[in-house]
Amino acid sequence: MSNARVLEATALKKSFGDIHAVRGVTFHIEVGETYGLLGPNGAGKTTSISMVSGLLQRDGGEVLLDGESMTTRSLGPKQNVGLVPQDLAIYPDLTARENLRFFGQLYSMPKAELTKRVDEVLEVVGLADRADDRSSEYSGGMKRRLNIGIGLLHRPKLLVLDEPTVGVDPQSRNAILESVEHLSSEGMAVLYTTHYMEEAERLCNRVGIIDQGEIKAEGTRRQLVELVGQQDLIRISATGVPDAALEDLRRLGGVDSVSPADGTLELLVSDAGALLPEAMRVLGSHQASVSAVSVQEPDLEAVFLHLTGKALRD
Amino acid sequence: MRHAWTIAKNDLSLRARDRSIYIIGLVAPLALAFIFNAVFGGGISDVGETITFEVGIANVDQGPIGAAFEDVIDSIASDGLLEVTTFDSAQAARSAADDGTVGAAFILPEGLSDAVLGGADATIEVVGNVDAPTTTQVASSISEQFGIGVRTANLSVATAMASGALSPEEAFAAAGEAGTADPAIEVGSVEAASRQLDSAAYFVAGLSIFFLFFIAGMSITSMLEERREGTLSRLLAAPIKRQSIVAGKSLASILIGLASMTVLVIVSSLIMGADWGPPVGVAMLIVGAVLAVTALMIAVGSFAKTPEQAGNLQSIVAVTLGMLGGTFVPIAQEGFLAKLSLITPNAWFIRGLGDLTGGGISAALPAVFVLLAIALVAGSIGLIIAGRSLRL
Ligand SMILES: Nc1ncnc2c1ncn2[C@@H]1O[C@H](COP(=O)(O)OP(=O)(O)OP(=O)(O)O)[C@@H](O)[C@H]1O
Ligand SMILES: [Mg+2]
Repeated sequence: MSNARVLEATALKKSFGDIHAVRGVTFHIEVGETYGLLGPNGAGKTTSISMVSGLLQRDGGEVLLDGESMTTRSLGPKQNVGLVPQDLAIYPDLTARENLRFFGQLYSMPKAELTKRVDEVLEVVGLADRADDRSSEYSGGMKRRLNIGIGLLHRPKLLVLDEPTVGVDPQSRNAILESVEHLSSEGMAVLYTTHYMEEAERLCNRVGIIDQGEIKAEGTRRQLVELVGQQDLIRISATGVPDAALEDLRRLGGVDSVSPADGTLELLVSDAGALLPEAMRVLGSHQASVSAVSVQEPDLEAVFLHLTGKALRD
Repeated sequence: MRHAWTIAKNDLSLRARDRSIYIIGLVAPLALAFIFNAVFGGGISDVGETITFEVGIANVDQGPIGAAFEDVIDSIASDGLLEVTTFDSAQAARSAADDGTVGAAFILPEGLSDAVLGGADATIEVVGNVDAPTTTQVASSISEQFGIGVRTANLSVATAMASGALSPEEAFAAAGEAGTADPAIEVGSVEAASRQLDSAAYFVAGLSIFFLFFIAGMSITSMLEERREGTLSRLLAAPIKRQSIVAGKSLASILIGLASMTVLVIVSSLIMGADWGPPVGVAMLIVGAVLAVTALMIAVGSFAKTPEQAGNLQSIVAVTLGMLGGTFVPIAQEGFLAKLSLITPNAWFIRGLGDLTGGGISAALPAVFVLLAIALVAGSIGLIIAGRSLRL
C-alpha cells in the first residue's frame, strides 16, 4: 500500500434488508487527485461514501484513510475527512459564521485558528458579506455553498462531496465547481459524486462509473472512452482536397476511417488532440483550403450508455 | 466531554431562539400554579412564615381519650400549625366543614373512650371540606398518628348521602378505607402532619416537574430532528464519540430544566408567597428531579424513530406520571395509588419538599437519593439505547 493513497476502499458491501445497495465497490484516491463516482439515482453513491466517511457501518470490505481503518467509531480517520452531505446539513437558525464555528469546534480546531479559518472559508465559498445573516434567509445556492464550506473548514486530507450542485442555479454551480478546482489545485484529495457527466469530465482526474451498487468501469476519461472503443470524430470543412491527400490521411497512425462528403471530411480517430495538427499539415501540403474544423469527442454519457444499456439521467 | 459541552452550548443557543421553551419552562407552570392555587388552595391561610390549617373539633366523647386527643391538637395548635375551632355537636362540626368555615373537622364520638379502653373498634371521624384537600389530609394524618382508626369524609360523600345513595355508615366506610387502624392507643409523633407544603409551593412544585418532562423530552426529540434535518450526519461524521452527542443533548436539557425550576421557585416565593423551605435542600431536590426526569425521558424517547413518535411517547409518560405523582391533585398518603405514586419522580420530589419543610435537609435526603437512583437506572438504560440507535 502506497502512502500516496489518501483513500483505499476495498470490496465495500452494504445491504438494507433486501436491497443490495453496494455490492463490492473498490477504488482509491491519491494525494491531490479528484475522483468521481458517476452514476444515476440509486446507484449506491451516497451509500458508498457514507461508508467511506464512517457514517454507515459496512457489511463487508475495508476503508483505509491514510492507511488507517475507518469505522463508525474511529476518531482519527474522521478528522481527516471533510464530508459535504447530499442533503443540506446546516442549522437554519444559525448564521453561516455560527454554523462554521460550531462544526469547527467539533474538529477540535484551536480558537484563534478557527476564527481565522472561518473568515477564509467564508471568502472561498463567497459568503463573506452574508456571514452574519441567519442561513434560513439564504438562497438555495448560498445554502449549498455553506454546506460545502463546513466540509472543508478543518482542512481535511480528503474532501467528500455528495452531489453538491443538485438543485443549484448555473451561476452558483459554476462557483461551486471553481472552488472544487481551486481546492484540488491546492492539493486536497476530493471524492466527488454526481450524475452530471459534464461535472465528472471537468473536475475529475479519474472516474468510476457506478450502477446498481457496482463500479462498472474506472479510469481517466480517455481510458474509459477507449475501453468501450469509442473514437473522436474530426469534421473538417475543406475544398480542393485531392485523393492523394485522403490517402495520406488514412496512412496517419490512429486514424480509423476518412470519409469525404460534399465539402467536408469526417475522420474517426482514437485521439483527436494528438491527430488534428498532423491532419492539418497533410491537408496543407496538398494545398487544400480549410474553412472550419470541429472535434466531437465521445463523452461519458456515451460510455455509460454502452456499459449499462441505459442513459445516465432518467 | 469537551465535545458534549460544545454540543450542549449549540443546543442551548438554538433552543433559546425558540419561544416555546419560555412557555413550557416558565409561563405555563406559573400561570397554572397561580390558577390552581386560587381555586384549590382554600382552607390554608398563611400566617407570617408558617402555614396554618383551619380545623374544627367536636369532642362528644367526654372521656380520657377525647381529652388526650384535644391535648395533642392544642399542642400542635400552639406551634401555629393549626387554628382550632371547638364545636358542641358533631352536627355543627360537620356543617362547618361542609360550608368551608373550617378546612376539616375532627369528631370524637360518644363512647370513644369506653370503646378504646374496652378493646373494641373505635374511630375518630375526620370530615373534610372538598375544597381543602390538604387540610383534610393533615387532619387525617394527625388522627392516624394518634393511633385510633380514623374515618375521612368529604363533601362528595356528603352529597352521596344526601341523594340517598349510601347510608352514612356505608359512606364513611367507603371514604375511610385509609383510616381503619388498630384500636390500640399509641400517641405517636405528629411530625407527619407537617409533611405538607404550603399550597402555593405545592402547586408550583407539581406543575414545574410536570413541565420539566417536556423540557427533558427535547433531548431526544432534538436529536431526532437533527436526523431529519440532516445535521446529524455531520455530527456522526465528526471525530467525536456518539455518547458525546447524547450527553450534549441531555446536558442542554438538564441545564434548561435547572434554570426553569430555579426561576420558578424564586418567582413563586416572591409573587405567590410560596414557602419552599431551606434553599440548600430545595436545590438538592431540584437537581435530583431534573436528573431523574431527564433520564426517564431519554429512556422513553430512545425507542422512538421520529420526533413526533418521541413527542407522543413522552407526553403519555409525562401526563401519566403527573397524574400518579400528584401534579394535579394531592397524592393520597395510603392505599394502592399512594404506593403506585412512589414510582414517579413527581411524588418523590413533592414528598421531599414536604419532608424538607417539616424536618429539614436530613429529612429530605431519602427523596433526593431515590431521585438520583431513578436518574442512574433510567439514565444508564437511556444512554445505552439512545447511543446505539443513534445512526442515520
Ligand atoms: N437507509 C436506507 N434504507 C433503505 N434503503 C436505502 C437506504 N439508503 C439507501 N437505500 C437504498 O440503497 C440504494 C442506493 O442508494 P444511494 O442513496 O446510495 O444511491 P445514490 O447513488 O446516492 O442515489 P442518488 O443519486 O439518488 O443520491 C437505493 O436503492 C436506496 O433506495
Ligand atoms: Mg445520493
